[in-house]
Amino acid sequence: MMENNTVDRLFTQIPSFEGVKGSVLEKTRGDKYIWGIVIILALTSVLVVYSATGSLAYKKNHGNVELYLFKQLAFMFVGMLIIYFLHKVNYTVFSRMASILLVISIPLLIYTLAFGAKINEGTRWIKVPIINMTFQTSDFAKIALFMYLSRVLSKKQEDIKDFKKGFLPTIIPVVIVCALIMPANLSNALLTGATSLLLMFIGRVSLKHIILTIALAMIPIALIISLAVITYKPKVADEESKKEAILEKLTGVGRLGTWVKRTQDFIYGSNQDIPYQVQQAKMAIANGGILFGKGPGNSIARNYLPQAYNDFIFAIIIEEYGLFGGAFIMFIYMLFLFRGIRIFRKCPYAFGAFLALALSFTLAIQAIANMAVNVNIVPVTGVTLPLISMGGSSFLFTCAAIGIILSVARNVEQAESKPLEPVMVPIVNTNIINE
Amino acid sequence: MDIKKDILWRVYMIYIVIIGVCILIFSKAVYIQQVEGAKWRNLGDTLHQRTQEIEAERGTIYSEDGEMLSTSIPYFDVYIDFNADGLRDKKGKLFKDNIDSLSIGLANLFKDKSSDEYKRILKQGYKEENRYFSLKKSINYSQYLEMKKLPLVRLGKNKSGFITDSKSLRLNPYQMLAFRTIGLARDTNKVGLELAYDTLLKGKNGSRVVRYVGGGISMPIDEDEQEDAQNGKDIVSTINVFIQEVTEQSLLRMMRENEAEHGCAIVMETATGKIKAIANLGRGRDTSNAKNGGYWEDNNYALFATEPGSTFKLATMFALLEDKKVNLHSTIDLQGGKWELNDKLIVYDAEEHGKNQVSVKEAFELSSNVGMAKLAWFNYQNNPSQFTKRLHQLNMDMLTGIDLVGERNPVIHKPEEKGWNNRSMLPWMAFGYSLQVTPLRTLTLYNAIANKGKMMKPYLVSSVKEEGSLVKEFNPTVLNDKICSDETLSQLSECLKGVCSEPGATGYALFKGSPYKVAGKTGTSLVQDRTTSYVDKVYQSSFVGYFPADNPQYTICVVIKNKKGAKKYFGAAVAGPVFKEIADRLYTTYVKDVANNNYVVAKKDSSRYHSILHRDDIRQLAPFAGVGFNSTTTAEWFEVNKNNKSQEYAVTNNENNLMPLLKGMSAKDAVFLCDEKGIKVNIKGKGKVTAQSISPNSPVEKGKSVELFLN
Repeated sequence: MMENNTVDRLFTQIPSFEGVKGSVLEKTRGDKYIWGIVIILALTSVLVVYSATGSLAYKKNHGNVELYLFKQLAFMFVGMLIIYFLHKVNYTVFSRMASILLVISIPLLIYTLAFGAKINEGTRWIKVPIINMTFQTSDFAKIALFMYLSRVLSKKQEDIKDFKKGFLPTIIPVVIVCALIMPANLSNALLTGATSLLLMFIGRVSLKHIILTIALAMIPIALIISLAVITYKPKVADEESKKEAILEKLTGVGRLGTWVKRTQDFIYGSNQDIPYQVQQAKMAIANGGILFGKGPGNSIARNYLPQAYNDFIFAIIIEEYGLFGGAFIMFIYMLFLFRGIRIFRKCPYAFGAFLALALSFTLAIQAIANMAVNVNIVPVTGVTLPLISMGGSSFLFTCAAIGIILSVARNVEQAESKPLEPVMVPIVNTNIINE
Repeated sequence: MDIKKDILWRVYMIYIVIIGVCILIFSKAVYIQQVEGAKWRNLGDTLHQRTQEIEAERGTIYSEDGEMLSTSIPYFDVYIDFNADGLRDKKGKLFKDNIDSLSIGLANLFKDKSSDEYKRILKQGYKEENRYFSLKKSINYSQYLEMKKLPLVRLGKNKSGFITDSKSLRLNPYQMLAFRTIGLARDTNKVGLELAYDTLLKGKNGSRVVRYVGGGISMPIDEDEQEDAQNGKDIVSTINVFIQEVTEQSLLRMMRENEAEHGCAIVMETATGKIKAIANLGRGRDTSNAKNGGYWEDNNYALFATEPGSTFKLATMFALLEDKKVNLHSTIDLQGGKWELNDKLIVYDAEEHGKNQVSVKEAFELSSNVGMAKLAWFNYQNNPSQFTKRLHQLNMDMLTGIDLVGERNPVIHKPEEKGWNNRSMLPWMAFGYSLQVTPLRTLTLYNAIANKGKMMKPYLVSSVKEEGSLVKEFNPTVLNDKICSDETLSQLSECLKGVCSEPGATGYALFKGSPYKVAGKTGTSLVQDRTTSYVDKVYQSSFVGYFPADNPQYTICVVIKNKKGAKKYFGAAVAGPVFKEIADRLYTTYVKDVANNNYVVAKKDSSRYHSILHRDDIRQLAPFAGVGFNSTTTAEWFEVNKNNKSQEYAVTNNENNLMPLLKGMSAKDAVFLCDEKGIKVNIKGKGKVTAQSISPNSPVEKGKSVELFLN
């Protein structure tokens, strides 16, 4: 399976005077479209994040905006390295690693819940001691989970419709991971669960079983919604305090209060008391035009829109680049998903196919979720826009996912050209380069 | 392949669903922007934009010699939000870890509480979850910077909860010096120059539109439409820090010695009417100023009208002479010092001197009340308004018009007024009773005599500046170009000189042996005011005069209200010495050298050639220059004479406030020596010091500047 595994070396394999750049480009394989998409999104990210951190920089760094720009560029650099190195890895390694990573992620999630840092209310983060960077353990767990799902789905295809042999081994890790993510980050847990179910559906798990799972999952959600409806009182001056009191009590029970409040805001939100962030995001969207927005760096909403550089970056994109810009970003994500599906189609091996599909879907769904929050189709949740939101652990995990997808793509390419290998070795290389 | 196809249709189905969601999202965005757009856009502006005032910086009041008398300094109030996220995180780990080092840091920085006390109040505040705990008020900028470096605090507002509110406080670097005249820039009830020039000093606040970013931070938008604050203009007062210091100290010393109630001393530049110094000391309500013996500049006594007593006799003399009722040699019977106008109206002199026939000039010099009362009575009883018109001619019934708010109107009764009684008014007015004038008014009168009959308006501000460049200049104002005939003028100055030079005159003893001549008048009057009546025997001592008598440079008025039963109360004994002390200092500093006008030694005298070198320098140079150097002594300075022999050279007295002898030194050494004593140096020429504008061994204050002439 290893590339260029010939006894004798070719001239092209010998490092030449053409320099490092040429050789890196030559060694870079995988789906060229996805590479292109990564680059487009990264460039967009630099532009928008640089603009959106303006007020953050003003608040925290005496207007030193460049700090965030350089930070973002550094993240890009590290991210690209991650993609590059992961795409060089033979993806079969991931099959073996999937179980290990999943096993690691569970204590990590528990640790986070117990001792994690609080950023924006939920304890979703832990600090990595040496590099002193907080990272959201759920991002790690998600990748591990999807890798594991791909593995199980590919291995159990024969018995996939069977409850014991097919369904249980797939659903148990999903339930564990989601249950551990949920207390701190309900929306993320829901998103992970939904994506998992989607993958199970694609992976031919019995629809009956899936519907059963959904039904069970709906119970807590229904509980929250009904709580929201029950505790909600129309705005009457003296009732207001009572409602707040109930909510405050609920806040005591983990993050239940926040969930209920957000649901209420979403269900009953009139113009006066819709959440601040939503209001600001809508203002941002309203400020952009159809074709062109306010132009790069001219956002006004970034000044008050909390997390403008992160959860609400899509609103800023529309403000600065117009609806057209927003549509273009959507198109890019759809193209990405399409390429992911193409890899699935072309990949002869079950695990690789599922892996590419799973990771492509999860990224695309995350993007859609973020955009849906930005236009207020769903309640406010803390989901980033993959590759565009300001750097952080989720950015790096996104890069890791893309690296894995490209690793599958590279192996697919290799497999396609493999039959030629023994006879005409030199052509292999030109083929790859010309593809 | 069957399986793969089975999977593929699912994939495509979901792909289509996702695209559907995308379309939904896009449609919602279009809806928000195109349908609801106007509403959101309008909301945006009203929600975040606000007009914010930009506070103008208040101008600085400078002294004549460029020292800051009153300026605005940023100060900070420190608060702690004990509910700051950083402090509450992890059950207050950050707070607990840092409280010890923070308490020590705060105690070291502010030195007002021990570290244990700080720790206690911090813990208390933390326990109470106080969100706006006032830690310390009014710390200055350098303390603020230091505080920012302390543990916890350096982590920033969100982590430490430390909040600082900046404000601008008015600072008087010279503290008590002319404090009342410079004034108070408090929000309400300003006084002094701060009030009189408030419109200039305060500037104009600007405004700008800001957008709130959250977290209480705002960002200015649209800098073009910003209306900048116009900072207040600076004003340069006529007050000279050196003269003010001399005046204030002299007054303070006498007042402490005599435990006086309140007093003032004003120094006016004769030719211009510039107030060079104005000291006002009283006990005030706040007697905690132990440092100054309980005295403080609590009121502008120079602007308060009181019965002046004998210093007013100058005005009486002026009327008599100008109306040619008498000349200096006319005689008058002092009747031994007691004159009974009738049973009830008896005029006494200060003491029963037993003198009878004396000249008018002598009567003035002796400060005889009987003399003045009789002269006025017999010359004006039939036409009292002739007398009061003469007083009006001297502006005695008017404000001086000094550029301060709060000058009290003088009280000079007139025959035309209801209730005028010749008998009970005229003789008393002649020696300064039954009327009230301010010390400043009296000063202005005496200055007019000093200034050859030209009455100058007293003023305190000479120019207005903006960022160092001149905006407006105030020139001396003449109130009356010639108050009297030359003849009267010379007679009056004759009288005033006599007071200070004729044996037996009230000021004779005081100025005996003075290197300069003084012309002036003593005054001792019984005080009757809101709290005191004549029978209490509280005296107001005053001395007004000018010097040098032949070429007047400065006119000084000293008025001190004594305590009840003070041992010393004569004008010559209380106010006179203050005058003399001020005059002495001014004379050595300004007048003497100006008068001699020759403190540049132009002659080069090789026979007296000498150099003054510092011990270290001479030790290094000696071997090369062939100078014999005797290093057994500990002297610091050595004189090298023509024969290349070095010898000890006493440069200066040990007392720090004496001017060193700098002659023969290099500029470097001279500057070094002056610098040590805090004296500023102005150098003219090159080479070695040949002359200095402050004579050696004369007292000199820190911050004073000396001119050195080099050959």
